[in-house]
Amino acid sequence: MSKAERKPNLKQRNASQRTKQGKRDLKKEQTKEHILSAALQLFREKGLERTTTKEVSKKAGIAEGTLFNYFKTKEDLALYFFQKETEQLIQWFRGERRLQKAPLPEKLFAIVHRQLEYLEPYEEFIGAVFCRALQPTSSLSPLSFDSQELRLKYLRFIRELLSDAEEQEEIPRLGELGAYAFGLFYLGIVTHWLQDTSRGKQKTLALLDRALSIGTKVLKQGAWEW
Amino acid sequence: MVKHRKQNSVNRAARLVQLGAGLAGSYLAYQLQRPFVDEQRASSHRQALKRKHATRVRQELQNLRGPIMKVGQALSMQTHFLGVEMVQELSALQMHAPPMHPSLMRAQFRSAFGKYPEDVFHSFEHEPFAAASLGQVHWAVTKKGQNVAVKIQYPAMGEAIKSDFQALRTAGFAARMTGHLQDAIIREAERGILEETDYLNEARNIEHFRKALGPLDFIRVPQVYPELSSEQVLTMSRVPGFRLEDFLKTKPSQELRDQHGANLTRLFFFQLFCVGALHADPHPGNYLFNNDGTIGLVDFGCVKYLKPEVVRCYAQFWSREWVRDRQLFADIIRVISGPKISSEEARVRRCMNEIRAFYDEFHPLEETSKPLELGDPKFMDGLGKLAKVLVKNRFLSPEFLFLSRTESGMCNLLHILKARVFTTQIARQWMPHC
Repeated sequence: MSKAERKPNLKQRNASQRTKQGKRDLKKEQTKEHILSAALQLFREKGLERTTTKEVSKKAGIAEGTLFNYFKTKEDLALYFFQKETEQLIQWFRGERRLQKAPLPEKLFAIVHRQLEYLEPYEEFIGAVFCRALQPTSSLSPLSFDSQELRLKYLRFIRELLSDAEEQEEIPRLGELGAYAFGLFYLGIVTHWLQDTSRGKQKTLALLDRALSIGTKVLKQGAWEW
Repeated sequence: MVKHRKQNSVNRAARLVQLGAGLAGSYLAYQLQRPFVDEQRASSHRQALKRKHATRVRQELQNLRGPIMKVGQALSMQTHFLGVEMVQELSALQMHAPPMHPSLMRAQFRSAFGKYPEDVFHSFEHEPFAAASLGQVHWAVTKKGQNVAVKIQYPAMGEAIKSDFQALRTAGFAARMTGHLQDAIIREAERGILEETDYLNEARNIEHFRKALGPLDFIRVPQVYPELSSEQVLTMSRVPGFRLEDFLKTKPSQELRDQHGANLTRLFFFQLFCVGALHADPHPGNYLFNNDGTIGLVDFGCVKYLKPEVVRCYAQFWSREWVRDRQLFADIIRVISGPKISSEEARVRRCMNEIRAFYDEFHPLEETSKPLELGDPKFMDGLGKLAKVLVKNRFLSPEFLFLSRTESGMCNLLHILKARVFTTQIARQWMPHC
């Protein structure tokens, strides 16, 4: 066997390291998902406040120390939940070819509905998260540093959709403001959804539909003329 | 000069009221201005105001698109209660229900049925083929291969209708105070429209009518699939036929028009005197016409089960026996005015005489060789004039609301069809005393 055959060159070594790193990241992600799924089960049964990290680690079948390696607090777990939600939302939307050609109000409706559908099984947990997010010191707060990455990812996605609509002249140029305004609108809709006691939360569906269709019309006509 | 200044200030005040209070404000505005303008000007002013109101009401309803449209549609059928201008404008709302885009339709289907349509049906068309007043209708094929029509209701209609009626009560405050709009009539309309929001109720109505209309072999009623229906999703078999507008485009012969006219009249009397219940949403989209003379009847959301005394009272319009029989006349007063107001005999008699004159002219008791030409504008004018007299004399009863809506709706259909019908002869077939 020649020397060259025995020792891999630098390029090959880097590739091998990258594969190892990739495998490690994948394993790490799988563990995080496993912990989240165990935590969500407990949150659903006992609520966010009454669930302890000890119970989460027990349910996930890992040592409490290992849990802390992944999530320092329950808030970090909640943040991870929303990261997953946003990732899945974007991935789902990219695969919906019909929807990508639909008018803006329908696109936005489908996005918010998809998000609410994702949140549906964890309604109580979401309610508790919302209460925590109102505290400015919480990492779940929309103003916190920890939630910045998630926030930016979501806003970029919405900005992209609005830019398309701007190009199609469905709405006038809104710039960054449009995505921020939609983000706030989404939070308002989730608050309504949490309070909605109508059958199948239909009042939220109707509110969402009308608000988006009227909102788009108002933007198009110019609010001053409306 | 003083008068001029007064008029201006009244106009200004009226405009302010209009701005602040919307429709009720406009109603007040007219009432406020009335003493200050002469009769001729008042008449033209009234016309203009009515037209303005009507357009405004339609525009507002169209902008809202929501369930209030249903209220508008229901009101548009009240040709007896509203002016011609308002009816013309409101009737433009028919067949234009608030649309649901495919994403909302799927979301609503899931909310109402617990699953997405693609999980329930073999195939499902995401684009609706027709707008229903409270939702929309989609073609689908069941997993067993049956072709069906699926009616899906717009979300949270019941709640919205309740709040719209609350708004109507507030807006119609002035009219209620002057007695032009009775609370009992609003209540009756609300009850009927709310009933329409429950599709399971509609499913029961369809089953009832399928059995009851069995003897009329020219009527086609859909079949319900209960396992694929819920309170807001109704799955039915497809009923063939053209909507009136499309049917007329096929240029049907006068003979076929007459046949359909006679069949519609038969259907009306059969429901009234043999079924005791009325398909009370007579807007043209609910009747499907076929070239073999059969008629498909759809949308059984609004069905009115009639009290026997109301049917007996209505039969008197045709039989005219009350002229000789005092007891029959006393019954009519009781139905129209309720038990406590028996002092209104003169008012009721005046109205009944008007009704008699109308029926003598258009539906004569004696046998005639000439059918009634329903395409003749004279008939609709006569009906409109009669309605005005009845409203002026407050000859209204909530029980009559749906009956009159169906009757005027049917007359409207026959008028558009330009049908020639032997109305009295058909009435005689089923009427107990005629």
